[in-house]
Amino acid sequence: MRFTGGMIGSMAVLLTGCDAAALRPAAADGAAIARGREAAVRLGCGACHVLPGVDWPRGRVGPALSEMGDRALIAGRLPNRPDILAHFVRDAPALLPGSAMPALPMRDRDATDIAAWLGSLHAD
Amino acid sequence: MQTDGPLHHDADLARVLDGWPPPVLDPAGPYSEPITVLAWALLIGGTLVLALVLVALGVALFGSGRTKARLGGEKAIWIFGVACPVVVLTGLLVWGLTLTSHLSAGLPTGKEMRVRVIGEMWWWRVHYLDAVGRETVRDANELHIPTGIPVLLELQSADVIHSFWVPRLGGKMDMVPGRTNRLLIQADRPGIYKGQCAEYCGGPHALMGFIVIAHDPADFARWRASRRPAPIAGDLVARGARLFDTVGCAACHTVRGTPADGMAGPDLTHVGSRGTIGAGILPNNAGTLAGWIADSQAIKPGNRMPPYRQLSADDLRALTAYMASRR
Amino acid sequence: MRSETGFDPGLYARFPTQEPRPPEEEQELRRIWCAPKGWEYLTVVNNNYVGIYYLGTAFLFFLLAGVLALLMRVQLAAPLVDILPQATYNQVFTMHGTVMMFLFAVPAVEAAGVLLLPQMLAARDLPFPRLSAYAFWAYAVGGLCFFASLFVGLAPDGGWFMYPPLTSKAYSPGINTDFWLLGIGFIEISAIAGAIEIIVGVLRTRAPGMSLDKMPIFAWSMLVFAVMIVIAFPSVILGTLLLEIERAFNWPFFDATRGGDPMLWQHLFWFFGHPEVYIIFLPAAGLMSMIVPTIAQTELVGYRLIVLAMIATGFISFGVWAHHMFTTGMPAMTTGFFSAASMAVSVPAGIQVFSWIGTLAAGKPRFNAPGLFVMGSIVIFVTGGLTGVMVALVPFDWQAHDSYFIVAHLHYVLMGGMVFPLFAAFYYWTPMVSRRALSERLAKWVFALMFVGMNVAFMPMHLAGLMGMPRRVYTYLPGNGWDLPNLISTLGAFMLAAGIVLFLIDLARNFRLAPAEGNAGNIYRAGSLEWLPTELYSTRSIPVVKSREPLWDDPGISDDVEQGRYFLPRSATGLRETIVTSPLLAEPQYLQIMPGPSVWPFAAAIFTAGFFLALTVQAYAFGLTSGVLAVIAVLRWMWETDRPVDMEGVDIGADIRVPTYMTGPRSHGWWAMIILLIVLGMIFVMALFGNAFLWSNQITFWQAPPVFGNALPILGLEAMGVAVALAARRILSRSVTMSLGALIVAAAALIAALLLDHRQWQLTGLLPDMSGQGASLFALLALQATVLAIAVLMAGYTIVRAINGLVTRPANNTVDLTALFLTYAGGQGFAGTIVPRLLDVV
Repeated sequence: MRFTGGMIGSMAVLLTGCDAAALRPAAADGAAIARGREAAVRLGCGACHVLPGVDWPRGRVGPALSEMGDRALIAGRLPNRPDILAHFVRDAPALLPGSAMPALPMRDRDATDIAAWLGSLHAD
Repeated sequence: MQTDGPLHHDADLARVLDGWPPPVLDPAGPYSEPITVLAWALLIGGTLVLALVLVALGVALFGSGRTKARLGGEKAIWIFGVACPVVVLTGLLVWGLTLTSHLSAGLPTGKEMRVRVIGEMWWWRVHYLDAVGRETVRDANELHIPTGIPVLLELQSADVIHSFWVPRLGGKMDMVPGRTNRLLIQADRPGIYKGQCAEYCGGPHALMGFIVIAHDPADFARWRASRRPAPIAGDLVARGARLFDTVGCAACHTVRGTPADGMAGPDLTHVGSRGTIGAGILPNNAGTLAGWIADSQAIKPGNRMPPYRQLSADDLRALTAYMASRR
Repeated sequence: MRSETGFDPGLYARFPTQEPRPPEEEQELRRIWCAPKGWEYLTVVNNNYVGIYYLGTAFLFFLLAGVLALLMRVQLAAPLVDILPQATYNQVFTMHGTVMMFLFAVPAVEAAGVLLLPQMLAARDLPFPRLSAYAFWAYAVGGLCFFASLFVGLAPDGGWFMYPPLTSKAYSPGINTDFWLLGIGFIEISAIAGAIEIIVGVLRTRAPGMSLDKMPIFAWSMLVFAVMIVIAFPSVILGTLLLEIERAFNWPFFDATRGGDPMLWQHLFWFFGHPEVYIIFLPAAGLMSMIVPTIAQTELVGYRLIVLAMIATGFISFGVWAHHMFTTGMPAMTTGFFSAASMAVSVPAGIQVFSWIGTLAAGKPRFNAPGLFVMGSIVIFVTGGLTGVMVALVPFDWQAHDSYFIVAHLHYVLMGGMVFPLFAAFYYWTPMVSRRALSERLAKWVFALMFVGMNVAFMPMHLAGLMGMPRRVYTYLPGNGWDLPNLISTLGAFMLAAGIVLFLIDLARNFRLAPAEGNAGNIYRAGSLEWLPTELYSTRSIPVVKSREPLWDDPGISDDVEQGRYFLPRSATGLRETIVTSPLLAEPQYLQIMPGPSVWPFAAAIFTAGFFLALTVQAYAFGLTSGVLAVIAVLRWMWETDRPVDMEGVDIGADIRVPTYMTGPRSHGWWAMIILLIVLGMIFVMALFGNAFLWSNQITFWQAPPVFGNALPILGLEAMGVAVALAARRILSRSVTMSLGALIVAAAALIAALLLDHRQWQLTGLLPDMSGQGASLFALLALQATVLAIAVLMAGYTIVRAINGLVTRPANNTVDLTALFLTYAGGQGFAGTIVPRLLDVV
């Protein structure tokens, strides 16, 4: 049994640096959205948030992310733009001091992918 | 967790095949390897015997002539139902008995590393012992071992019966209240090996996992040397450390080098360096730590830690930072 | 020809008789064995009805537990599905195992025995019809209430094996566990009652001339089955009792922190639990061995070998229990012994499989519905047997144990060894109890769906196990590769279920119960006696049996039987009756007068269930009342039995005369009592084992027993009790009063002995909740007190009967049985006095 990709990934990202300039998301394509969902699951975002289509965990600490693509604001404060969202998922306290959401070490591509995925979540 | 349709991309495919080859058939040390050989012999032999019975049944149903007639008498029962099984089973029994004594022999040898692992509902207490059995380092839910030497585990239980199982490193052994069972494991290659509780222990038994991390001896020595409490550095971490003692964490958890000395839950002195959170079930990062602290019941329903929903955002972030810094 | 009882076998030559029988005889039989109407369906005791009720109820539980299995398969279809919450899943998997084992498998085979044995043995009914009725109702009412606990979320959740300390009060404070412990209580009672019925039925009510070597193989299998129940069930009865006492009164039998030991439970449970598998398998194998010759239209190849194999299975199965405990840290020597025994037990199974294959080869097998299920069963059972040999190897078991590999293994064994044979039996014997046979065309679909579904469901589980998936998990994480095998398993489970649904449709369309009005007949051209023409009184006359397949060997037998040309073509006494024959050669010994329908077994069952359920929900007053009422109902039903008729001997056909009343070791009541005493003895032996086990494992908690010499007066009193009780039987020929007096003196002596024993232990300072020693010692005393309480009840009952002039001289069964019981009580007291005093601190 190999160790899960998730764990190795999360350990690997702890070591990678953080470069804000790289967080310019490309046009959201299907592959990025799929990767974003996978990254969100792998990093355990579900520990605090209900992620659509993910049965476990269904965290109740932060808001459910089911219709993130329809929201005007992130956390009620920031405009919901893909680039801002990508920053936010990686380092929430830098953008919104006082947020309970901690800075999460992750690869640049994970951040933009997750933002792309979140942006694609709409009410049916 | 992906329930929305068939496999769409490589990542999903990789995930499905992640368990391949099956760990029982993919041994990583001398205490699992001979069992794998035995398993293959049994699987292949069993398939052959099944084929033989199917052929016999086929002859009985569709055959004709002499073969069928021979099968239809007591002599055939003596040959296939008595003689053949007795010969095969005797051989297997000898193999099994020899292997049993080989795998459980030589306890302890004096060269091995000793670790006491205590099953708890639903996590694992890990005490590293020195050569004479004194505790040196305490940890939880994760077992670090050097490659190439046997590790003698002293398995105990603090409450109900659990069972320690890392299929790639050896067979399983129950943890029974009132007893100490011994189990030898060994990894020949560095790597991360998954384990799980194998004896039903109620509630979230399904989510009682752990990992064994095998280091080559030099790495292991470094890891071992790093097992002293990390300094408390920075305002946020300091604030988290104070909160840890005031909001109740310290009642159940120990962080060595601080006043926190609770014994009910896992020792958190090195929680930030662990690979997983919740006993082998989620990757350990600041986000999952925060989620666990605030509401672990959503992640592992039924576990013994109450939700801490009353924490303010700042407090939660401080506690999370403190925990993440306990490396 | 030799004789067993002095009966002249030459008399058999008088049958079939030639002179025509008067037609009123048949009318009379119909009147005596008449069909129930309306509410009378609750009071029937005839095996034709009770057997069907029993089988129907067992099948209902199979369906219910099957639905639970489907729920689990949905939950496990993919990782982290959230359909069954954790707590619910834990209840569901516990109930699935418990219901399948206790409420389906054992009752189903017992039901097959109740339904088929009298017909196969050509008896009018089983020897204790009211006991059958009681066993059934206790099981049905209790089982349904037990199952209903699931709907209120109070179902047990500790697994069907209920390991403490998880199931002790500390870790399972709710009443869920009590539901299991007490719910299993009446299943145990019902299983024991059925076992007594079956042993006495098989050994004492066979048709004349049916010596043991001519007995249908199913009867052999039921005999071994029943003996195994008698040996194995006491262990779990004691186990559940002790765990319930630990939970209710805090006696630490299984608490390692106070000198108990959780391993004691595992030994008690698996000493029952593994033989249990063979208890289920053997009768089903017996059914197979009945069906296979008919499918092949030739006699069974290796009859004697099969009989030997079944007896060997029975023996060896008591030496394999610890193979469920290979990972508990037992010494290698011990595991070696159990490993060898576990492998050895596969040899008799192999003999049976190759006997079936040999029989098919010897004949011309037909691919009809029972045939298909028989063949499928062989394939599945062999597969399960092979994985069984694998896990009998200790090192492999260290990996496979408690993984999905075991789930696959046990389902192959039980589906191949029990479920498929049972379906074969459904098809095969439906024409015997129904006016229409089931559809052969649908059967092919049912079989295909079930066979393929079964393999699709359980084959991938082998792999899941090797991939490291543990059992009894309500969910699993992705990333282990378990997703795909589990998804396939779920699909297979639904395919299997579809086959069973199709079977139900067939059943609804074609099954028409017909105990009173003819049946579909011997459509498979079988050779055994259950295919004789029957009505509610079973066969018109009871044939002399000269071979194993009388219907094949004597084409005229059906007609002769129907025309009343054999034994007992009428009711000799105007009551229900059957011929009691000798155990080896089945020579007629006496005519047993059987009790008819009665509401009391039903009432007793309701109150028994009420007693256990009320205890569970801690309604003690209601429970106590129910218990007292249950006892009264049992006594009331007994009251009408043991009444000699005013006829010294009667003609049971061809001027052969036998008595109508029998006492002493030849009577069927004596046999039943001996079996019951073996059950009680086993319970007590297990309790002594528990005491000794804790002594050898938890000696640090031990304290010195009373000085041995002080036990002499106790032993003296007990010896006196035994002697006086034995004398009571002999005195009866002289005086009823003196005999009853002797019973009272015996009981008094034994009670005095118990009080003295209790006092001596009390003086050592030992208390029941103090240590494992205290708990197990006072449990022994409590068992002795219970047995004595029953003895006193029996003595009181005998006295009341005597006052009513029902105790007849020179010999009387009620006095005999009470004396026998007291004798046993004395013996038990003796052992209970000596053994714990020998276990001293070292």
